[in-house]
Amino acid sequence: MYAFDIERPTTVAEAVAALKDEDAQALSGGQTLIPTLKQRLASPSKLVSLSGIAETKGVSADGGTVTVGGGTTHAAVAAGASAYPALAALAGGIGDPAVRNRGTIGGSVANNDPAACYPAAVLGSGATVVTNAREIAADDYFQGMFTTALDEGEIITAVKFPVPEKAAYIKFEQPASRFALVGVFVAKYADGVRVAVTGASEEGVFRWTEAEAALSGNFSAGALDGLSVSADGMISDLHGTGAYRAHLVAVLTKRAVAAAG
Amino acid sequence: MEKFGKAQPVKRVEDVRFLTGQGRYVDDIVPEGALFAYMFRSPVAHATITGLNVDDARSADGVHLVLTAQDLLDGGMDITLDSTAAPNRDGTHGAKPERPVLAHGKVRFVGEPIAMIFAETMDQAKDAAELIEFDYDELPAHLGLATGGQLVHDEVAENLAYDYGIGDEDATQKAFDEAAHVVSLDVGDNRIIVNSMEPRACFAEWDGSRMHLCMGGQGVWGIKTNVARMLGLDPENVRVTQPDVGGGFGMKSFPYPEYFVCCFAARALGKPVRWTADRTESMLTDNGGRDLTSLAELAFDADHRITAYRIKTISNLGAYNSGFGQMIQSFLFARVMPGVYDIQTAWLNVLGVYTNTTQVDAYRGAGRPEAIYVLERMMDRSARELGVDPLELRRKNFIPVAKFPYQTVTGENYDVGDFNRVLDRAMELGDTAGYAGRKATSEAAGKLRGMGVCYYIESILGDPDERVQVDFEEDGGVAIYVGTQSNGQGHETVFTQFLADQTGIPADKIRFVQGDSDLIAKGGGTGGSRSVTTQTNVTLKAVSDIVTAYTGYLADKFGVDEDKISFDDDTFRIEGSNEAPSMLDVAAMARDDQREDLLSFKAVDEIPGRSYPNGAHIAEVEIDPETGKVTLDKYTVVDDFGNMINPMLAEGQVHGGVAQGAGQALSEHVVYDEDGQLLTATFMDYAMPRANDLPFVAFDTEPVPSTRNPMGMKGCGEAGTVGSMASVANAVQDALWDRGIRQVDMPFTPHRVWQMLTAAE
Ligand SMILES: Cc1cc2nc3c(=O)[nH]c(=O)nc-3n(C[C@H](O)[C@H](O)[C@H](O)COP(=O)(O)OP(=O)(O)OC[C@H]3O[C@@H](n4cnc5c(N)ncnc54)[C@H](O)[C@@H]3O)c2cc1C
Repeated sequence: MYAFDIERPTTVAEAVAALKDEDAQALSGGQTLIPTLKQRLASPSKLVSLSGIAETKGVSADGGTVTVGGGTTHAAVAAGASAYPALAALAGGIGDPAVRNRGTIGGSVANNDPAACYPAAVLGSGATVVTNAREIAADDYFQGMFTTALDEGEIITAVKFPVPEKAAYIKFEQPASRFALVGVFVAKYADGVRVAVTGASEEGVFRWTEAEAALSGNFSAGALDGLSVSADGMISDLHGTGAYRAHLVAVLTKRAVAAAG
Repeated sequence: MEKFGKAQPVKRVEDVRFLTGQGRYVDDIVPEGALFAYMFRSPVAHATITGLNVDDARSADGVHLVLTAQDLLDGGMDITLDSTAAPNRDGTHGAKPERPVLAHGKVRFVGEPIAMIFAETMDQAKDAAELIEFDYDELPAHLGLATGGQLVHDEVAENLAYDYGIGDEDATQKAFDEAAHVVSLDVGDNRIIVNSMEPRACFAEWDGSRMHLCMGGQGVWGIKTNVARMLGLDPENVRVTQPDVGGGFGMKSFPYPEYFVCCFAARALGKPVRWTADRTESMLTDNGGRDLTSLAELAFDADHRITAYRIKTISNLGAYNSGFGQMIQSFLFARVMPGVYDIQTAWLNVLGVYTNTTQVDAYRGAGRPEAIYVLERMMDRSARELGVDPLELRRKNFIPVAKFPYQTVTGENYDVGDFNRVLDRAMELGDTAGYAGRKATSEAAGKLRGMGVCYYIESILGDPDERVQVDFEEDGGVAIYVGTQSNGQGHETVFTQFLADQTGIPADKIRFVQGDSDLIAKGGGTGGSRSVTTQTNVTLKAVSDIVTAYTGYLADKFGVDEDKISFDDDTFRIEGSNEAPSMLDVAAMARDDQREDLLSFKAVDEIPGRSYPNGAHIAEVEIDPETGKVTLDKYTVVDDFGNMINPMLAEGQVHGGVAQGAGQALSEHVVYDEDGQLLTATFMDYAMPRANDLPFVAFDTEPVPSTRNPMGMKGCGEAGTVGSMASVANAVQDALWDRGIRQVDMPFTPHRVWQMLTAAE
């Protein structure tokens, strides 16, 4: 780790101001950033800790929307998002207890790791990413692996999830990291079904629109018979080829539909 | 047997210390002010070094010393790590290319040490490392498990380190020519990274005349010899210590460069220095395990009796010889090549090859798991091809009870064994009768189910002789000095409990001392499942010496004949007297009488022969055919460990061993890319087995006491690993057989199993 300064603002406004310095970087739960620093793969001159900002913490449910503060830990979502059980279950399946007690939704969604779980929930729910500056629809937010619509120094303050009629997330774990080798989030709304896939594509999280179309007419695993995604553009690594991941997308989508009931 | 007395499931006294963070590992006890060492390592797998400039690193903040190979040579150090060469078929010995502690001329694997930096903080040392200019011309990396290709060492033709043979090649060929049935199979045995919980670590301090090296290892004496040799010190002036050690598994048995460079630096600086590997550094540089492939063939007569066995193996040594690297897949593999079967005609040929990867050496079982893996995969395949029950085929070929002691074709002499009895118990405990029902249930849920058996045998290795010293101390307690070295197995509990049982001295009055070459002149360390048998054997001798001496002393003191005095493992009885002194009481009397000769006892003893633990493992797996995910669903072990001193600790050894074997079979996967970069260099990519990957292990024993040591014991430290690889692999093969899959090799990761399923469609 290289030396750095640290600031601990208590409001979003202070944090935004602190992040104006060149080479300053936000630090939330540190579950991604700290290992990166330890390996000397990043060298921010200043870290701005978001952990002391009370206004970005907590889960609330209101009129069909669950709002999760950007600084809310995975453990808090697992325990507190009972109004959106599939979301709570997803949060409860991230990492291990230590990771869940430190890692936050804001950090996960800002990082947009191609194998992370939250991006599937955010995109699969058609959620809205709320920042200090604006609101960004999920469809506009994710822009390829580790790439998002966030501007430099922009802070995620909350994510607003419309609660679906039915939903489920099925994660097939990469054997070592237990991130998603492939994860599929399926959510059924009155106006249609959304299917978001993480772990699989070189473009990061994506919507499987053919499956959405098939399921919107007939929300059953059988509706997916014969549907498949192409292996082109799928991640190939030592844990699985693109063909394997493409195959898993179809298998897991069916399982997610079955699990959603 | 009466000597053995009390088998007790005593809980481990050291565990409270370990589990509450009170263990004293190397990194916990470094001397104050020790400088931090950081190793600058090769970023490439194979290259000629064209330049190495450490000037800027030397003048960086906080840096006290930077050492390169040239500096060590200039300082008069012998920079070559030693190793044992395997015997070649032609009577010569295997290759011994130089393995320097710091690279010079060439680098041969990613992570090879190049320069070591000593600074006041770790960050300063790492900052300085970034200032090192290292120039090189990259060479193609030789990575395949094959001879030939780009030479790793110019002087070793074909990259062939050794060509080992044992058995009778011609007689074997003849038996194959005459066989009624021949079965053959390619058996791959994947490379693993050992991943001890505590990484390798050391500190070194120099007091002006003596060197003290403290490091995590498996015995202090071999390292001491090497320190003396390489630094040109009188062995008298070298002290090596090993405190608590967090796992070794064979990997920590052997010399590694960092220890000796740290010693050199401590002497050069007159300051203590410390080094601890980080996790990726461990994964890059700790000796790997396994990594071989074998073509195995069995010949049968018309009645399905084995008439000959032949194996051709290629084994990866990595870039250099590690200490015992050449011996693992050759001589040690051969120890149990024929397993529990009556096979008198065999031929084993093993080629060891160099590659541009990290060294490979002993890993829990060291050659014996590998041999049993090949054999038990073969027995399973043979049963399928012959169309007979795999257990019946094994029973038909078991060495019968009446044939013991049994001389094997590779030179072992098995003392006892009753394999049918053990297998009967395993089938009962594992409910093999209920398997069909469980398979039907799995199938109803869309899953494939398989059952696999392995009947293993192990030959206990390591030094057969051992030492002990028992001191009666002034505070009324006792110290026991042992020549073994706990790596976390519970020696402190077992050896103090054993002495307590034999002498009546309360266990909490016994102080356990290990791992200090100043206090213990010689010992065998831990390895080859030797510790409990050799250490208790010599402790028995010491106890007998004490009893004899104390009997004589009491006879004099009480004016009775020696035969009027007896010791009942607790108290001395003196005929015609009401006195009934305990051993501690007698020691106190002797101290009062100034009989120093009765206060310290040393013993050396060699066990009469090796023991041969054996047993049956039965694994059941369930496979999700849509994803390829394998779940180890049911696991049963019945072992013949002879008499056990502490059955609970023995069972714990089996649990850990099974986890390591199942880990290799199901998830552990070392992957190098085509340039020799290790892709699985963190736990994000290298999948260790976790508690929830394993079922509860049903365990029982069917003891047939060994006749080769007074307690009738058999070693148990490695046995779990030896049995588990083949049982799991056979279960996976069983589950996939009906899908037409005929070649299954570990690791059975979801992706690989899915590929097998897809290819068979
Ligand atoms: C062992 C382990 C296992 C894991 N397993 C999983 C898993 O199964 N599934 C999964 O999805 N994830 C997993 N993770 C990742 C985990 O969920 C992290 O918590 C998450 O990716 C990052 O969140 P964080 O709060 O720790 O962010 P940090 O590490 O603090 O920050 C990550 C990045 O986001 C930026 N950032 C942080 N907060 C904000 C914000 N509010 N606004 C804008 N930018 C911000 C930081 O500047 C940084 O670039 C695992 C992590 C570990 C260590």
